[in-house]
This record gives sequence, C-alpha cells and structure tokens, in this order.
Amino acid sequence: MRPKLGLRGLKLEKVLVLTGRDAVKISVASIITAFILFSIFLLLEGANPIEAYGHIFSYAFDPRLGLPTTIHRSTILLFATLAFILPLKAGLWNIGMEGQLYLGTVGAFAVAYAFGNLPSGILIPLMLITAGLFGAIYGAFAGFLKGKLGVNEIVITLMLNLIGYWLLYTLVVGGPWMGIAESQSRPLPASAWAPMIWKVPFTVFLAPAIAVMLYFLFKRSTIGFQVKALGSSQPAAEHAGINPLKISLFVMVVGGALMGLSAYHTWAGDPAFHLIPRPEGYRGIGELTYWGIMVGLICILNPLAAIPAAIFVGSLKEGGTVLVRRLGLTYGLDYVFMGILFLTFVALQFFYRYRIMRVKKKG
Amino acid sequence: MPALTQKIRNIVSRTPMKRGRRIRKIPLEGIKRGETILRTKGITKKFPGVVANNHIDFEIKAGEIHAVLGENGAGKTTLMNILFGILRPDKGEIYVRGRRVEFKSPLDAIDLGIGMVHQHRKLIPAHTALENIVLGHPKTEKILDMRRAGGEVKELCRKYGFKIDLNTRVWQLPAGEQQLVEILKALYRGAKLLILDEPTSVLTPLETERFLKSLRTMAKGELAIIPFITHKLPEVLSVSDRVTILRRGKVVKHLETRKATMKALAKHMVGREVLFRLKKPKVKKGKEVLRVENLSALSDKGILALKGVSFSIREGEIFGIAGISGNGQHELAEALAGLRKTEGGKVVFQGRDITRASTLERLKKGIGYIPPERVGVGTVGEFSLVDNIAMNLYFDKEFSKRGLLDYKRIRKHTEKAISEFDVMAPNIDTKAVHLSGGNLQKLILARAIPRTPRLLIANLPTHGLDVGATEFVRNRLMACKKEGMGILLISEDLDEVLQMSDKIAPIYEGKFVDIVPAEKASKETMGAMMAGAPLERRTKRRGKQLLGGHK
Repeated sequence: MRPKLGLRGLKLEKVLVLTGRDAVKISVASIITAFILFSIFLLLEGANPIEAYGHIFSYAFDPRLGLPTTIHRSTILLFATLAFILPLKAGLWNIGMEGQLYLGTVGAFAVAYAFGNLPSGILIPLMLITAGLFGAIYGAFAGFLKGKLGVNEIVITLMLNLIGYWLLYTLVVGGPWMGIAESQSRPLPASAWAPMIWKVPFTVFLAPAIAVMLYFLFKRSTIGFQVKALGSSQPAAEHAGINPLKISLFVMVVGGALMGLSAYHTWAGDPAFHLIPRPEGYRGIGELTYWGIMVGLICILNPLAAIPAAIFVGSLKEGGTVLVRRLGLTYGLDYVFMGILFLTFVALQFFYRYRIMRVKKKG
Repeated sequence: MPALTQKIRNIVSRTPMKRGRRIRKIPLEGIKRGETILRTKGITKKFPGVVANNHIDFEIKAGEIHAVLGENGAGKTTLMNILFGILRPDKGEIYVRGRRVEFKSPLDAIDLGIGMVHQHRKLIPAHTALENIVLGHPKTEKILDMRRAGGEVKELCRKYGFKIDLNTRVWQLPAGEQQLVEILKALYRGAKLLILDEPTSVLTPLETERFLKSLRTMAKGELAIIPFITHKLPEVLSVSDRVTILRRGKVVKHLETRKATMKALAKHMVGREVLFRLKKPKVKKGKEVLRVENLSALSDKGILALKGVSFSIREGEIFGIAGISGNGQHELAEALAGLRKTEGGKVVFQGRDITRASTLERLKKGIGYIPPERVGVGTVGEFSLVDNIAMNLYFDKEFSKRGLLDYKRIRKHTEKAISEFDVMAPNIDTKAVHLSGGNLQKLILARAIPRTPRLLIANLPTHGLDVGATEFVRNRLMACKKEGMGILLISEDLDEVLQMSDKIAPIYEGKFVDIVPAEKASKETMGAMMAGAPLERRTKRRGKQLLGGHK
C-alpha cells in the first residue's frame, strides 16, 4: 500500500534509481535535521546551541586538544565499519567487532612480548599479521557455524565478545602480561610503536586504503559479486552455483581480520597507550566499535562513504565530551545527540525510496 | 493565518476530486439482480514513465460475473487497486449504484460493500477458518460470541452453497477451500461486489472446477463478481457473463462471453494472432544426454518425496513430467540441478556420473535450470539486468580475468541476450524488480539458453505467465529442441505437456505412473494418472518395455 500524506497537492512517488548525489543530499539533510532537533535539548538545558556546536567542533579539530584523539578514534571506527560492512553485504551480521579487537590485541601483544628485540621492520608486520590472524580465527568460527549449520551469527559473535573480554582480562589483570600497575599490561617495546607519517601513525592511512580496496572488491571482483548475490538472495545465489559456506567463511574471516588488524593501530598507534590499559579502558575502546554498525548502516554499506561518515561520527563523539566537561551540561547529553543523529538518518532513509512530488494542476 | 487557510480552502475546492461527496454507507442491501452496482468513468492513473490506466470505462451489474482480462502490465492490478481504494486515480470517477464516491482507503470501499480476495491469501494458518473469517470484523465486540458468529457464517455458507468445515485450521485446508474462506471473510463483512485477483492461479484442476461452480452459484443471487485474469482463458469462457479486455492501460474490448472465442480473446489481449497449437518440429534424436536411475530425494520437511524414478533423455527430445504440485517433481528438478541431496540412485550426464557434483560443476558442464519462482530464486530483484545475466557468467574464464569481472564483455553479452529474448526494459542497468513476470521469465531464459546447455530443466516454465509470454517461452523451448538440447519439462498444465513433449511421465506421490510416448497419450488417461489412478495391465507392460528400451 502506498503511504499517504495528509496534504492535498502533494503526492509520494517511488524512486526508481537512487543517484549518489541524491544519497549525499539526503545525508546532509539528516545531519542538519539532527542539529536542529538537538538544539531544542540544548535550549532546554539553558545552553546556546550555536555556541555549543562551536565548542564541539573547535575541540574535536583543535590540533592541541582533540584532533589526535579524533583521528585515532575515527580510524578505529572506520576499521569497525569495514569489518561490519563486508559480512553484511553477504547477509551476515558481524556484531563481533569488539571481540575481534580483543583477540587481535592478544595476537599483537603476544608477538611483541615474545620478539621484542626484533627490528621494527620485521616486528611490526609480524604483529599486524598475527593480529589479523587472531581476528580471522574469531570470524571463521562464526562464519563456519553460520554457513554449515545455519547458527545465528549475531548470537555467536555477541557471545564471543564476552570470551574475548575475559581472555584479555586473565592475561592482563594479575596475569602473565601484568605490568607495574596490577591491572595494566607491560608497555610495548619501542620497536613495536607505530611509525609516524606527518605526525600521525601510518595505520591511519591503512584504513582508508582498505576501504578503497573493498569498494573495488564489490564493484569489480568475482568474489565481491558472489558476496553481493548471496546477500541479496540466498536461493538465487545457490541456483547460480554460489557456495554459501565458502562465501560466509570468506566474509567473516576477512571482516574479523580487518578488525583484528585495528588492534595494532589502537594500542601501538596512540602514544597515550603503548600498552593494554585497565579493563574499563579497553572496554571503552571495545564499545566504540559498536558505532561501526551505525556508521555502516547510515552509509548504506558503501565503503567509500564510510570514510567521511566515520570521521564525522568520530569527531562528534570526541567533541561531544566538551558538552559535559567544558559547558558543564547534564551528563549523557552527548549520547542524546548521537541518538538523535541516527534517528534522523534512519527516518530520512525513507527518501531513498520515495520522493514528494507536487501534483500538477489539471487542465 | 486565516488568509492562508482560506487560500488552501480555495485550492481544495477547485480540485475536481472534492465535488464527489463521500458517502459513508450506501445500502447495497436489497440491491436487485440486473441493477448496475458499480461504474467507472474515465479512470486514469499515471506512474513515472507509464500510463497504467488510460480512461477506463467499466460497469458491472448485480448478479453478474464480469471478467477483466489482460496481460501482465496491462493495468489490471492498478484498476483493481483503484476499485478497492488502495490507489487513488489521477482522473476519473467511480459511481456505486449511480452515486459518485471517492475512496480514501480500502476501509471506505469495504464500507460500501466491496470485497477483495488477493492472489496471495492473507489468512492466519494456525487459526480455524471461522476465526479467520471473524477476525477484525467491525461487529466483533470485546467478548467474542463465536457461536453467534458461527451461526451467521453457516447461514452464508448455506446461501451460497459452500461446503467448508469452519472449525478446521486453515493450514489443513486445501488451497481451493482457503480461497473460499477468503471469500466468506469478504461476504461476512457485507460485500456485495467481490474483486478476485487471479482466483484460480494456485488451484489444481479439480479444485478449480469446484471453485468455478461455487462462483456460478454465488452469482445466481445479487452478488457481483469481478475476476481479474491474465491466463487460463478457458475458465473465463466457462464462468463469466461479460469480459472486458485491457491492453497497455486501455480498454480494447467489452464483449459478452457467449459471443467470444478463445482465439478472439487472446487476440485482443496480445494485439495479434496467437497460436494455441504448437507444431512439433521433427527432430532426429541424438545421443543420450541424461540417464536417471532409481533416484530418490527428501522434501524440505524430511519426508521421502521422490521415490526411485528412472528415465533417460536424448538430444533433441522433450521429456514431459505432468503432475499436480507436491508429488515429487520439484525434488526431482532440484536434485538434477544439484540443489538437493539425493537419497540413493544415480544421475548420469553425457556418460559421466554426476550424482555428487555441485551446482556450479553442473552449470559448467552444461545443465541449465529454470526454476519455478522467478523473483528471489530465478533472479535477484535488487540486481540490474547485467548482474542477473552475470550470475551465469561470473565463473567463466571468458568473462573474468584474475578474479575481476570483465564487465565490458558481460555487458555486450547482456545486450545481445536481452534483445534476442525480447526482454522489455528501458536499459540493461534497470533493476530486475521493475520487470513484469513475463519479462522476468524471458530474462531467465536469456541467461540460461545462450550458454547452450546440453540439458535444460524447465520447471513450470509458463506458470502464471500471460498468453503472449507463454507462447514465447514454448516457442523458445521448441527452438532449443531443434538445436539438439535435451529438455526436461515439468508442468502442472496437462495441455502444455501433451503439446510439447515427446514422452510423457505422469508423476504421482513420488513415482512415475508410466512413461508414455506422446502420440499414444490422451488427455483423459494422463489426467487420470496424474490423479493416481491405477494402470491397466496393458499400458503397464508397454511402459516397462519403453523403459527397457532406453537402457
């Protein structure tokens, strides 16, 4: 049934082809709507919205204040988004980015502690590979169970997240990796620190590069084609000779590996860390990965669109903290803003399918 | 502010729609046979790019069955939705019993006594027939008086000669009776005018016959019925009083059914002569393409649905399997396409055992499969035509290099295949979801046939297609036969199987009742065998000889 508008003179029309330009327009409209709606909350709190928004962005992009963290967190977010997008293109919901991050951490630190005296040129690639491998094993587990036995991948990945959390906990808190402070790990050897390019760790450039590669994977490659086919319709894919088990494994393994990789960036890329922080600390980063789901959905699974989207959300998350810290507003207000933002994105996705037309006057 | 409201009011009063006053309740009670119950004048509805309905004038009297015929895309669905208030016309008027009405939603239509029975039934399987009929009825109060409701529904059944056990759960009812439950639901709501969307498309021949009989009984009273039909012309002829034929959004013909012939109806629908008799080309049979020995398979429910069938197909031969849905033919087709595990038996393709080969291996070897479901199985709706065609090319070295698809070649191949198979679409980047059923089937053929498979499994290839598309598909299959493909044709339409095949195997409960050469098969014996009638000894022996001859 067609939705109806209560206004005469206007009617809804189905959008047959959504152009990239329209999608961008709709996204911008969603952002603007969110800013307007959030202004109401700010006014209720007695703050000046324009001033508040100014604070958010000036903080997030100030090189002396928020910028390094914004870049760092946006990169993690982008990795998480990509790790979410790839499986969902094949119809699988990877909710395990958190656990994949923890497992990647285990892999990277195990290598760093064991071979700390190797030169950076060997140690860092080794850490990246192991981190990716550990994430991939996690993903393979869910991918296999889903593809072979049809077990729900959301349940598996969510459960594995807890296992990942506790595995890291046992290793760090009073475990073999315990540092001077009982609940933190020993610091990474200096040879494992991420080299800087233009004052940012090189991994910051790795994430967008992978996004571009994924984009071409979907656009041109045979395997990307099979992923899309499976995601669009499993029976149709099977009729075309596509093996669901193979593809499920592929997307979960690669998705898990991407998130695992990001563990290196997370801890070795930020000079503030260079170790595994206390459980609240690493859980905080783990929770950040869930925003990858939102970012993936608002950029309708397009890896290229994920780059600006991740930066935008990352800067809002970082800048949003000033609302509480600098302006002294109610705690949790920054989360309200994020909530509104995603609501407007979801609401305005309506216009991906419909457009409002003015009815032409009849003669 | 008041000025603005006044302005809006002015605009509103100028729109022609406003002039037709809404009338909540028209007493359709007590309408007499022969009185005009509904009339439309100049109904026009445009969608982006098409005029779906172009000045449609139409009328129906009480006590009449007035069929609306048209191919897919002729504008039937749009008209139906307008009559039921789901869509609003851009232009035109609807009169119920001579009074101008305007439907804001289906509720308005229901209030006026119009009922609709959808093609895909909207019943709750776990509830009883009666519960489904009473559900959502405005008369139901906070406490359900099932006994009173039951009495009222029973009265309706008696009036119209329905025989249904109202306390059976819907999932246990056969498709034909579910259809009656839908109709009862509309009647219980006080419908005097019934709109039926493809009423017989999911019914077996026997059910269809019963159903049409009930329709006739219903129309003896004051009920008016509008069935919308794309195919199955004989049914139209047997049951309706008048026919309106739509083509490309316009009414091309109103006529009385007793003056119509099948040929004339088809001609008006399609816009040209349609051949109902296919000529079977004489083709020399080549080598054996497929040999199936004692093949068994489970259904989705885990029940043994295919119980050891054996047959063989040679090049240039069409092997037809006739049967009512659910007798194991789908399991057979899927097992041959590599989509279903077998429970014993052997499949030999061009001399090689492929019993355990995957779907992909079979595709590469040259087994083409045309599945019965076109949306979501045969095609991916969200994919463009190019990508849909690529579903059968991506694994081929000719169309991909080092893991990358060669879209230049794929597009070229698509262009050619699309034009050869006459798929009507604005361009090859159109999404498949925007194609009509007939065009989708052409797309599926365009994907499978140009890859020159040696064996083509056509599972219900013309099911639900309109007359023109059906003719196209049948001609194409004949052309494949001429080229020397072996074809396995599975169909519920006995006429189709008889016309097309060289050999016919009626299937019943997972077994072939017999294998009969086409020239010795008659509609009566085949129909009886499809229904599981036991064989005469003479025919049985001949069937055995035939089977023996292949080995």
